[in-house]
Amino acid sequence: MSEFIQLLISGLSAGSIYALAAVGFTLLWQASQTINFAQGEFVMVPAFFVLALSVKLGLPIWLAMPLTVILSVLLLGALFKKLIVEPMHKHGTIPLVIATIALGLLIKEMVKEFYSPLGQPFPSLFPQTVLTVGDAVISVPDIANFVIAMGTIVALQLFLGRTRTGRSMQATAQNPDVAQILGVDIQRMVMYTFLINGALAAIASILITPIYLAKFSNGETLGLVAFIAAIVGGFNQIRGALVGGLLIGVIDNMSATYFSAEYRQALPMILLIVIILVRPQGLLGTSEGRTV
Amino acid sequence: MTETVLSVNHISKSFGGIHAVRDVSFEVSRGEVLGLIGPNGSGKSTLFNCVLGQLRPDKGDVHINGHRVANMRASHLNKLGVGRTFQQLSVFPQMSVLDNIILAGQEHHGTMASRLFGPSDAGLTEEADRMIAFFRLEHLRDEMAGSLSYGQQKLVDAAMAFMAGPSLVLLDEPAGGVNLTMLANLKERLETYNREHDTTFVVIEHNMEFVMSLCTRIIVLAEGAIIAEGTPEEIRSNQQVIDAYLGG
Repeated sequence: MSEFIQLLISGLSAGSIYALAAVGFTLLWQASQTINFAQGEFVMVPAFFVLALSVKLGLPIWLAMPLTVILSVLLLGALFKKLIVEPMHKHGTIPLVIATIALGLLIKEMVKEFYSPLGQPFPSLFPQTVLTVGDAVISVPDIANFVIAMGTIVALQLFLGRTRTGRSMQATAQNPDVAQILGVDIQRMVMYTFLINGALAAIASILITPIYLAKFSNGETLGLVAFIAAIVGGFNQIRGALVGGLLIGVIDNMSATYFSAEYRQALPMILLIVIILVRPQGLLGTSEGRTV
Repeated sequence: MTETVLSVNHISKSFGGIHAVRDVSFEVSRGEVLGLIGPNGSGKSTLFNCVLGQLRPDKGDVHINGHRVANMRASHLNKLGVGRTFQQLSVFPQMSVLDNIILAGQEHHGTMASRLFGPSDAGLTEEADRMIAFFRLEHLRDEMAGSLSYGQQKLVDAAMAFMAGPSLVLLDEPAGGVNLTMLANLKERLETYNREHDTTFVVIEHNMEFVMSLCTRIIVLAEGAIIAEGTPEEIRSNQQVIDAYLGG
């Protein structure tokens, strides 16, 4: 039982970070029909911003991390929208998808070429200590990661649900033509969504990289997991992406122990196939309405 | 002297070789309820879209409350005091009825800072509740708009059009797909609003009974041009209209 609790908490911790990436993935789709296949690289690269700022420029880590969030908001949010999404969007969804795949490859190769092809140690925000609850040994970073990731998603939900700007963003996602006629500046709302995705990617990166080391190839797994989590939970709901992320985190962790470490990475794919066959709108998604 | 709210001056619009609207001019005064009728393809929707600035006319111009609306963004038109309802359902399905109606009014209030950090209802809950009560939607206030019936969504759409306190409301087939009971309710509510606020309506509608009983003046379009204009009684007895549209 103690092993189960340990695995559950550690799975929820990883899953909540996957959920951050999945929520960003979902937001971009809802606001602008952008399927961002560079999302994995968006989560990978902020860790290298932190390293570049702290190791190369010598800034303290407490400064490098918030600067990284700002840098990510600008580069992965605003610049991505202006340079890739806006020019490609008028050509349709498929060219935009191809552009994001190319962008992902470009980011990955650039990190490999200009920083290092080797995994880099990455500082953790939290002490590497454990708590003992009964027989279960629970890692403090796991709990802290879970609290920060979930807190971020809850704050985002509150922003979208309880502010005027959030309501305008939801309206833009659900019916942009009417929202515009009612006076909503839909281009600004879409831009906000991209900025939020940049921030979510940076937070996910800072939380997850201490677990895996900073490596150019981290985005491959993270992007796939975010995509699967968004589809499994429901592509048109933030809480769907949240549930999808948590579910995959827990399944991934449990399967390695109780099923097979060899087939660990196959299980999320199997889950994806089953969901697409049985409930294509996802566990919490709806077949028509869109919301953020 | 009557105050002109909408002035359409010599509007023409073609698509390729098709003349959708041909030299159409008319004025609408404050408090007037004007009906635009005509068979399918007569140019009603094109004219409507030219008035709303969504289509740029080839010739002519449109003034609303004294402002020229050519090239004006839809959002600016809304701020100029123009409300509209839609032929297709236009509510935000994953938001409550209350949130839909607040949204329709919130862009007229506050600064950028208050949009981010001010009260989420922009101080509009009371006003939205009044509008909800006016359209007799109290029992649906907190329901998701997407879960309502077609007719109920049409009422929400109408409530949204009035939320910003417009001086001119363009109603695009408000009766389409609405059952008789709800239609009577909608008509009575529109008449009451018009009477109480002196708001100007321009209505595109195929339901003759609805348009004849609601409107004070009717313009009939055929093949992009005005073929008749007058009171409902005059239009009913106009032989050219009967031949072109109403039928024997």
